[in-house]
Amino acid sequence: MGNSLRRYGIWVGIAIIGAVCWGVLALSRGETVNAAWLLFAAIASYAIAYRFYARFIQRRVLETDDSRATPAERLNNGQDFEPMDRRVLFGHHFAAIAGAGPLVGPVLAAQMGYLPGTVWIIVGVILAGAVQDMTTLFFSMRRNGKTLGQMAREEIGPVGGVAALIAVLSIMIILLAVLALVVVNALAASPWGAFSIAMTIPIALLMGVYLRFLRPGRVLEVSLIGVGLLILALVGGGWISESSAYAEAWTFGVNAIAIALIAYGFIASVLPVWVLLAPRDYLSTFMKIGTILLLAIGIAFTLPSIHMPKATEFAFNGQGPVFAGALFPFVFITIACGALSGFHSLIASGTTPKLIQKESQIRFIGYGAMLMESFVAVMAIIAATTLDPGVYFAMNANPSLLGDTVQSASQAVGGFGFSVDPQTLTQTAQNVGEDSIIGRTGGAPTLAVGMAQIFSGILGGPALQAFWYHFAIMFEALFILTTVDAGTRVGRFMIQDLVGNVVPAFRNASWLPGNLIASGLIVAGWGYFLIAGVNDPLGGINQLFPLFGIANQLLAAVALTVGTTILIKMGKLRYAWVTALPLLWDASVTLTASYQKIFSTNPSLGFFAQRAQAQQSLDTGKVNDVMAALGAQSLDDVRQVLTNTTVDGVLSILFAAMIIIVIGDAVRVWFGIIRGGTEPELSEAPHEQSRLDSEGREIEEREPVRAGS
Amino acid sequence: MTNPLRAIWEYLKEISGENAYDRYLAVHDATHPDKSPMSRGEFYRARQDEKYMNPGSRCP
Repeated sequence: MGNSLRRYGIWVGIAIIGAVCWGVLALSRGETVNAAWLLFAAIASYAIAYRFYARFIQRRVLETDDSRATPAERLNNGQDFEPMDRRVLFGHHFAAIAGAGPLVGPVLAAQMGYLPGTVWIIVGVILAGAVQDMTTLFFSMRRNGKTLGQMAREEIGPVGGVAALIAVLSIMIILLAVLALVVVNALAASPWGAFSIAMTIPIALLMGVYLRFLRPGRVLEVSLIGVGLLILALVGGGWISESSAYAEAWTFGVNAIAIALIAYGFIASVLPVWVLLAPRDYLSTFMKIGTILLLAIGIAFTLPSIHMPKATEFAFNGQGPVFAGALFPFVFITIACGALSGFHSLIASGTTPKLIQKESQIRFIGYGAMLMESFVAVMAIIAATTLDPGVYFAMNANPSLLGDTVQSASQAVGGFGFSVDPQTLTQTAQNVGEDSIIGRTGGAPTLAVGMAQIFSGILGGPALQAFWYHFAIMFEALFILTTVDAGTRVGRFMIQDLVGNVVPAFRNASWLPGNLIASGLIVAGWGYFLIAGVNDPLGGINQLFPLFGIANQLLAAVALTVGTTILIKMGKLRYAWVTALPLLWDASVTLTASYQKIFSTNPSLGFFAQRAQAQQSLDTGKVNDVMAALGAQSLDDVRQVLTNTTVDGVLSILFAAMIIIVIGDAVRVWFGIIRGGTEPELSEAPHEQSRLDSEGREIEEREPVRAGS
Repeated sequence: MTNPLRAIWEYLKEISGENAYDRYLAVHDATHPDKSPMSRGEFYRARQDEKYMNPGSRCP
């Protein structure tokens, strides 16, 4: 009794701390609330979830077995299969799942106040996101590291498999377009940003040659050199922005930057990996981990106050200027990474499961790494909500609603029900070394302003704010560009593989024509959406981000469906709710969002309602009031709206259809098994005794101990 | 191992793949000592090419 009291006493304490923090957040009535409450509410919730819920899933639901050899042990080839120390593997897995997503989504969702986003990030990760990552990791591990697509095909059927493949390709294209759009918005009309990001290309080239020929494999050394050069590039950017002649030469419009990005994506995908991708990978990984640590330290030391209200009226009326739509369902698709991200299921199947030493480590690696990512998302929402709400809306609303001057922006923000005076906007821009911060949508600049304020609170004071702002921009742009490079390449391989079914020569990845054509197709795909987004009169982020969210959650639905199917096949029907409930939630969110995007008659929300207004304007030859209120100013704008909304609307229909097909097909399989008609076929690799101990060391052969001795 | 800085350094070497060649040499000597191992440069070039031939996806 005393023993168990001591064992659980600490958990009771953590639970009380967590409950108090949540209580303060929920009940606060004041103007501001301290970020510390948010931090501790998150940490306490994660700790309890990891200790109890994740352990329950591991022991009762999945029944991991450490005496069973993992594929890393059985198929060890010293390359893709190799038992890896769990701490090292945790690092690799975390670096692969944590990208720009957890930083961008929460910033956009902050328009509804800090509470809706925070609750979803924390509750979502505990009950859905981390569960998806952990179960997918386990199921793939039991199947020698099969990918999600292969599992969908084998466990559900060919229809599910094809749908999964289409989901992956389309999410890739939308994802790349949205991320590139974030970079474009951050670098446009910013000579400092444009120069420092451009410099990352020669830096990567230098590192590539160094790593390949001069000092092969000296990764730490070259990364250190790279980070040093990056800082130099940042300082250089500061000088450029101060000299009027150079500043002018480095000032680009959105279209110029978009075209440069598209060209970069194509070239990077065609070139061998060591030239750009591999060195960039190291650079962005170190920068990513370093900046996240810095942000955590900054928030812990400065404990900033949150100025955004708990919940704004946009959460309920759905008329937010950042993106349209009410709290349900749009918070839940805007914040994907950090709460529930289907993309992770691609990493949790395929690469990581081939490296796991012991089955029980799926809890630490699958669930634990996702909790870490969720924590990054919480920090992002803190950074965004510590800003003056007026500044936040002046940065994030559709630029055509804000106008070009601080006065017009101030007036527009007043129209949203918040207030900011023109001087504050000028001053904020000056502090971060930019000409203007108005209409800098996409989340990255907002986060950078928030981070600059937090960082300068611990180091350098106001004098260094401009440096920290561009540091944050560079760090986000750096790993978004790495994703653009890697994502284009992944897409290229997928197309080469697909076309390879018909024209076998395409399968050969080093065959130049195949390489060029496949790269061109992928780049054309995301490039189309990028250009459309950059010029979208209704705001590219406003229009495209929901599509990206829906596509990502569609992939999560595929992963959770596969998981539920496998649980039922394993005879674990009574525990199937572990993945089935998140699936039910995810499906209702995604389908409601799709439904509203397709059928809503509200022209700020529904693609086809917008299209009808555009059509009406064209028919009458005059921009009607509804179109004008949304941001279209001329008939050319209206024509653009007509095209974009048609494409976006059709895509929404495609995504919704895909979810219904996958789930419908799986439900057929489930009922077949439950009714007992079909015999469940499990495609697990057979049990084999493990010869490694819990630290991964080979177990010595010993004489069997005789009983009684 | 008692020195935390040293532990961090070891962890960084492990996670960045900097000591992958040393591990390769150890395995190579143990399994087929008759053949000559790849040089450091050859090893890392082969490893890099192979890693990216089948690029895993990463999250946004």
